[in-house]
Formats: sequence, structure tokens, C-alpha cells
Amino acid sequence: MTYFKSFQPTKFSPLALLDMAYIVILLPLLLMLKIPMLVFVFMVLTILFFKKTPAKNTLIMFVFIMGILALYLSLYGTFSFRGLSRLKLFLELLVYILIIVVSMQRLTRVINIYLLISPMLFLALSLFFYYGMYMLIYVVFEIFFLLWMILAHHMEGDVWEGFRSGMVMFMVSLPWVVVLFIFFPRISFEHASYGFKGENIQRMGHDGTMHLDSKALLVPSNRIVMEVGFDKDIPSSDLLYFRGSMLYIDKIDHWEPLPSYIKRENKMYYPTEGTNVDYKVTLYPTQKQWIYLLDMPSMTVRKSSLDRDLISTLEKPIKEPLHYAASSSLSLRFHDVLDSYTLQMSSAFSKEQNPLTYKEAQKLKTAYLSIEKRAKAIVTFFQDQSLTYSLKPEPLDINHSTDSFLFDTHQGYCVHFASSFVTMARMAGIPSRIVTGYKADLENSMKNYLAVKEKDAHAWAELYINEHWVRFETTATASSIEAQSQIQQLKESESQLSKSINLYLMYAKYQVETWILYYSNIRQLQLLQYAKENPKFIVTFVMSILALILFSFLVIAHFRRPKYSSETLKLLQPLLSALKKEGYLRKKEETLHQYFLRYLNDHPDKTAIKEVDRCYEQILYAGDDSKETKKELKLFIRKSLT
Amino acid sequence: MKSLLKFIQIHRSIKQHATRFSLVVVILLFGLFMEAYMHDFNLVYITLFFVFSLAFSSGPIGVLNIGNLEADFLRKIRLFAHQEGKIPISITNNSKTTSWSVSLHNDDTILPLAKLEGESSKILHFPVTPDKRGKFTYGNFYFESKYPLSTAHLSKNIAQRYEGFVYPEPKGKSLAAFLQEEEMPYGEEKEFDGLRAYDGSQRLSHIHWASVAKGEMAVKIFTQETHTPKLAFDFHHAGSNDEARLSQLCLWVLECEKKHLPFSIQMPGKKLNSSKESIDDILQILSTY
Repeated sequence: MTYFKSFQPTKFSPLALLDMAYIVILLPLLLMLKIPMLVFVFMVLTILFFKKTPAKNTLIMFVFIMGILALYLSLYGTFSFRGLSRLKLFLELLVYILIIVVSMQRLTRVINIYLLISPMLFLALSLFFYYGMYMLIYVVFEIFFLLWMILAHHMEGDVWEGFRSGMVMFMVSLPWVVVLFIFFPRISFEHASYGFKGENIQRMGHDGTMHLDSKALLVPSNRIVMEVGFDKDIPSSDLLYFRGSMLYIDKIDHWEPLPSYIKRENKMYYPTEGTNVDYKVTLYPTQKQWIYLLDMPSMTVRKSSLDRDLISTLEKPIKEPLHYAASSSLSLRFHDVLDSYTLQMSSAFSKEQNPLTYKEAQKLKTAYLSIEKRAKAIVTFFQDQSLTYSLKPEPLDINHSTDSFLFDTHQGYCVHFASSFVTMARMAGIPSRIVTGYKADLENSMKNYLAVKEKDAHAWAELYINEHWVRFETTATASSIEAQSQIQQLKESESQLSKSINLYLMYAKYQVETWILYYSNIRQLQLLQYAKENPKFIVTFVMSILALILFSFLVIAHFRRPKYSSETLKLLQPLLSALKKEGYLRKKEETLHQYFLRYLNDHPDKTAIKEVDRCYEQILYAGDDSKETKKELKLFIRKSLT
Repeated sequence: MKSLLKFIQIHRSIKQHATRFSLVVVILLFGLFMEAYMHDFNLVYITLFFVFSLAFSSGPIGVLNIGNLEADFLRKIRLFAHQEGKIPISITNNSKTTSWSVSLHNDDTILPLAKLEGESSKILHFPVTPDKRGKFTYGNFYFESKYPLSTAHLSKNIAQRYEGFVYPEPKGKSLAAFLQEEEMPYGEEKEFDGLRAYDGSQRLSHIHWASVAKGEMAVKIFTQETHTPKLAFDFHHAGSNDEARLSQLCLWVLECEKKHLPFSIQMPGKKLNSSKESIDDILQILSTY
């Protein structure tokens, strides 16, 4: 009973319904409005709140002038003809103009077609500004809310009835939307910019050089750089090295890749060792050309090029989230036959720069003739130096960085370890180079999903041993991790529970993004291919669609069921329907008692109906709404039906 | 299956016409399609598919909203030429769910029905002003609704038509005036019995002037009044032309009916008598003259 009472009709005027629609639609756009425009919106809302009659022309003109002023101030300095070439700025201008126009029309309190269709325009514009799981949820809500308001308008402003009908329509549409979404043919256009310039969003952590001083890109942030979905299980932690760039040249305070104008021998040796894994990557904008592949990439990713160092690059910097499928052979080494230039560049060093290291390297060179053993000896040497892994090391003597690190400060992080290791290896006669990229943390994984964060940026060494480039995890030579860093990390880290929840959310987000937001013609083809190979999948798929239809049907049935003024009447409905089917239509102004008596006159043997009548009278007129009486009523209704 | 067949049957009885909002939806779909297709933008695709599906599903929902309505003309009413009459129509919703935003139309009148709950009925009085007397057929009634999304006009024709008679427009001299002119007494006074309110039909000699002086229009009544010989109206003396005569007779007939006075009408070649024919029959004869 209270359930029904709590939903007394709540009626709103058409203007109130329209206002509610505008509030919901404008909410995400308000987040991007500049302060002058926000002040303007607040001013219009205040006028609307106090003024309940149509505004005069002078007030509308005043609002128009204030709107133009707010627009001017909002875009002051950012807007010019050149600025127009930026899509989002152009769209921002459109949003501002629309807000001014809608405000002016709203003040007249006249609902015209422009005022009616503008919420949809705002919705379409907001899709340019926001993209992601939360926006997806909000967009679906916005569509439902608009539908709700339209229906409430048709239902004399009754929002509860509007909600019921809205749910019905929404659920009727849902299976169609799902089917259309999956099967609607897509052309794999890249995200079009319509001739506008892109926005400058980027993830940090790796920029193709490696600084040893304070310019080092040490970003201990939790922002996600890329998300990886493995086709099978995630490989073990020691195999999760994502190659970024390859650094050969020691520039004293930083390392650089080989100059791009140098043409190296174009000979590729695709890795064949190790287990093969297939995976899909979502890489967020880096504004750089590198794409990250697991060590060692075994195939070239679509639209990218893979050089002989197994470094993948695109032609243009990545300005929007990029999705690619990749394949790698999980191995810490791969075969390569060095050309003279690469050999020269990977062997270059300056003994004057780091004389102490050079001295030690020469000792190892003499002591170990085998390159392999010499490399191991370098590892042991590093281990013996009692090096400490620290995210806040003491500053190095940058002109003698390796000597300073190995013999003085003994502190550093991945770049210092890798740089020193490569320097010493070269001095010991082993061609070597630095690889920068990401070393993923299994803590940020769930099932086959792995999130790679900015703080996972890493550098390691590759040494050329027996015609193979072999990966060396140089930070593993550290004998301790600085407590300060740990404490800091502990402070920064969240509790285990929130971390776990966060991971679940990230996983859900990744699944939504993979299968909804970034669903493309490639995914369509993959799905088709998978269906061809797995007939069971077709059955599962069809069953899922049927389950969705059934679910929609149940929700529709729930919201379409008639409303009853009392719970007792609701209980009686099956019986009343049965009597109706028998041809006993309830006459106008005939009470239920009279109706039952009329039926009993023809069927005196139906004693259960007599009891139903008694119970009903008892509940309705004697005010007996005890559980027992209701139970009795239900029992006699059931008996009457049988 | 039964429901589907019923739906098909209902669907066939409904006509659908696009509104300007359907054009808005088409433009919106096109815009979203361009944005989604060129941008490879799944959020826009989802919006596009929702708009499409909602527009698509609004058809059957609109059909079910209007398709279960039925109309029935309750009874014949007296309609007079050039006078507004109201035809009572009972609208029944045979569905279990409420019908929303429906209006009852004919060629020139719209009557909003608004909300009609499931398995209930409502009586509407449809205004009509016939322009001439005679046999009257009024039809072309239909239900119309833009529910749920205003993208289509859905209309359902009502096959039933109202059939009746439009009587001549009652106008001319009042019965009282007629009686004055004819000096036709209502009765013969024998003994004063009291006073009653003057309604314009009594003889001037019966007016109780003392009451008039006090501001009340009263007439004297007597215990024994011989009944007036039956009122006899003559078609030829009722007006200058046929229409005027018929209008005059119609007015007198209605006044006689109101005062319960018997009367007769001498029509060309026919005499109508209120004691033999009902008032409606007499009016019908006048309307079809």
C-alpha cells in the first residue's frame, strides 16, 4: 500500500520538464565552460528562478548583450581565426552561442521547435568533448532522461507515468541497439579531425631520450599509459618488458638513439625463440611515434614499421588513443648480425669520461675471455658495489656519471643502472645499448587484462653476446632499495582494498572500452572469424541476444502492468480476469460485491468466490488488513481459479 | 501469437503520417551518422542507434496507445439548424493500459481526450452546428495522437456515423405572443384561487396588478378553469415563407412541449396532432418538409 502511496502523480508543466532536460544535458558541458560563461548561465538561472512571467524585449536584449560579453571574455586570448582551426575551440564557440540563444528563447517562456530540439544538439556537441566509460553511462542516461521528459510531456506532465512508459520504450529499443551496434557495418576511418587540429594530450614517462640528471622523466604517477589484453594468460612478471626506444649514443648527461638520417643495413631477424603471445594494446596519446611491444616483437603491427632493433614506430605522433593487435616471442634474447655501423655505435665509449669504470672493465676484460662470462662478471661487479635503488638519489657528477654512480653515490634508479651497465659493458668490449620502455607490474592485472602505468617507465640494457642481443635487467643488481622511496611509495599507495576495487574498475573500464568504445570493423571481423571457427560461439551469441530480449520483455511487462488503487484489487486481478473471460463483464458503477453476487447467482456452487467476497469486504470495510486475512484472500482466489 | 495477430489487426486500422519532428529525427540521424561514420566514434554510434530504435519503436507503441480505443454514439439528440448541439460519444479503452494524449477529431472540430485509463470509458460531448434542417448524417470521426514521440500523427477512423434529424431553427413569435394575438383564452375563470408567477403566456387580464406594483410579476389563478380548446397552428399562417413557417412551428411545438399543452398543426394536406404523434415525430416531419 505504501508503495502505491509513495508514487502519487507528480505533475510538471511543459516548461519545467524542458528545464529538467536542459539541466541534465548541460551538466557535462558546464564542466568545460569558462568562468564568464558559467557566470552568465548562473545569471540566466537566477532570472528564470525569480521571473515567472515572459520577459520583456529589454531584458532579453540585456541577456543577449551579457551573453556576448561572456562569450568574448571566455574566449579572449584563445580565439582567433587561427584558433578556429582547433576543433574543440570551434565547438566550444558553438556551445556558447547555443547557450545564449536558448537562454533568450527560454526567457520568453514560449516553447518553440528550436527550444525543443536544442537539448539534442547539446548532447551531440558534448560527445565531442567527452569520451570514455563514464560518458558512455551518462549518454545512455541522457537519452533515457530525454525520452522520459518527452513522454511525461505527453502524459500531462505526470513524471511517474512518464518513467514507466520511458522504461518500456527504452527496453524495446535496447535489443535493437545492441544488435545494430554489433552488426552495423563500419569503415575503419581513423578518428576524423574534419581539418581541425588535434588537442595536445599526452602521457609521460618516455620520450626517446634518457637523461641522467634532473631532466630525467621520472614520473611516479598512476596514470595509465596503455592497457593490454592478452588472448590467453598474462605472461610472468619477468617477461613483461615493453620495448620503446633504443639508445646508442652517450651524450654525457643523456643518451640518444641513432640519428635518423643514418641508413643502416636493412636486414631483419625476426625473433623465433620463446613462447609466442598475442595481445591487444590500447595506447593513450603520447605525442610520440613509438608504440610499445613486448620483448621480443615477432611481427610488425599494422600501419607501423619495425626496425632491425625491434623498435616499432608510426609515421606520425600518437595524438589519440591507439589500438593495435600485436604478437611477440617471449624471450630475453634475439638473433642479430651486426652491421659495422651498429657495431661501432654500440661499442663507443670515452675512457676519459669514466676512468675508474674503464679500469675495472679492463680487469674484467682480461680476466674473462668469454663474452658471456664477462657479462656475468659485470653483473657480479655491480652487485658487489652495494648499489641502492633510489628514486631520489644524490646528484651525480654528470661529467663522470658512471664513475660517480658506481664508486661515489652508489644510488640511482633504472636510468643510472642501465647507463652505467652499458658503459662498463662497452668498456669491457661487449657491444651494448640501452632500451627504454615499460616494465609492467602484475599487480595491475586481472585475468587477461594488464594496465601499464606511467610509473612503470623503465630502462634496461641489451648486450650483444654470441650474435644475440640479450636483455639484462640492470636494476636487479641493486643490493638494496632505499627506505625513503619505500615509505614514499607506501604513502602514495592506496589501501589494498581500494587498490583492488580500483583494479576491478579498471578492468571493467577496459572491457567496456575494448568492446564498446573502441569496437571497430577489426573487432567485427575478428568476431566473424571467431564465429566461423567456433560454432559454439554462435549458439552462445544467439542465446545471449535471446536472454537480452527476454530480460527486456520482463522489464516491459513489469512497467506495462496496470496500476491498481489498492493492493487488494491487485490481488483480485487474476480472478477478475478469469470471470471476464467467462463473459461476466463488470457493469458500470457495479460494486465488486454486486458483481460477485451476480456471478454467484448463476454459479451457487462456487463457494470460494463467496469467501473471496467476504475477505474483500472484511479488508475494505472492516479495515482488517492483517496478514492472515490477506493470506486467506489469496488462498480463496487460488481456489476460485482452480 | 494471438497478441501478434491482434496487433496486426489493430495496425491495419491505423494510419500514420509524418510530422515535422520526424524531419528533425531524420536530420538528427543523418548528422549523427556523419559524425559517427567519419569519426569512427562509438559513443555517437550508440546515440545514433538509440535515436533510430526509439523512433522505430515509437510506431508500435503509438499504435497500441490508440488502437484499442472505440467510440460509440450514445443516443440521438435534438439538433436544430444553426444552433450548437452536443453529440454524446462514449469512448472506451479496451486495453489494460492507459491511453495518452489522444484527441477526437472530425473534419473541423478537435476534442482532446487526454488520458483514458485501461478498461474504462469516458463520455465526450462533440459540438456540432448543423447549417440546415433535414436528415443529418455526421461522420468522419477519428482518433488522433502524436504519442509517444510526436514523430508521427497516428489516426484511427471511427466507422460509426451519427444519423439523425436536424430540426428547423426554432425562431419567431413566442407562444405567448401568438396567444395574445389570437386572443385565445387558456380557460374560464370561476373562482379566484391564488397567484402564480407570470411566464408570458397568460392573458393580460389575468395579471395581478397589485403584485406588479410591488415589483412582482404575478397572475391570478382560478379553482375552476375550463381548458383551452386545443391549440391549433396553421402552417400557412405561421410565416412568410416555408423556412420561416417551419422555424415558427418548431418554436411553438417546443414551447407547447415545455408547458405540456396539447396542440395540432395543420400542415399542407396533413394534420399533426400532439395527442397522436410524439413531439419528436412532429419535429421530424417539420425537419423533412
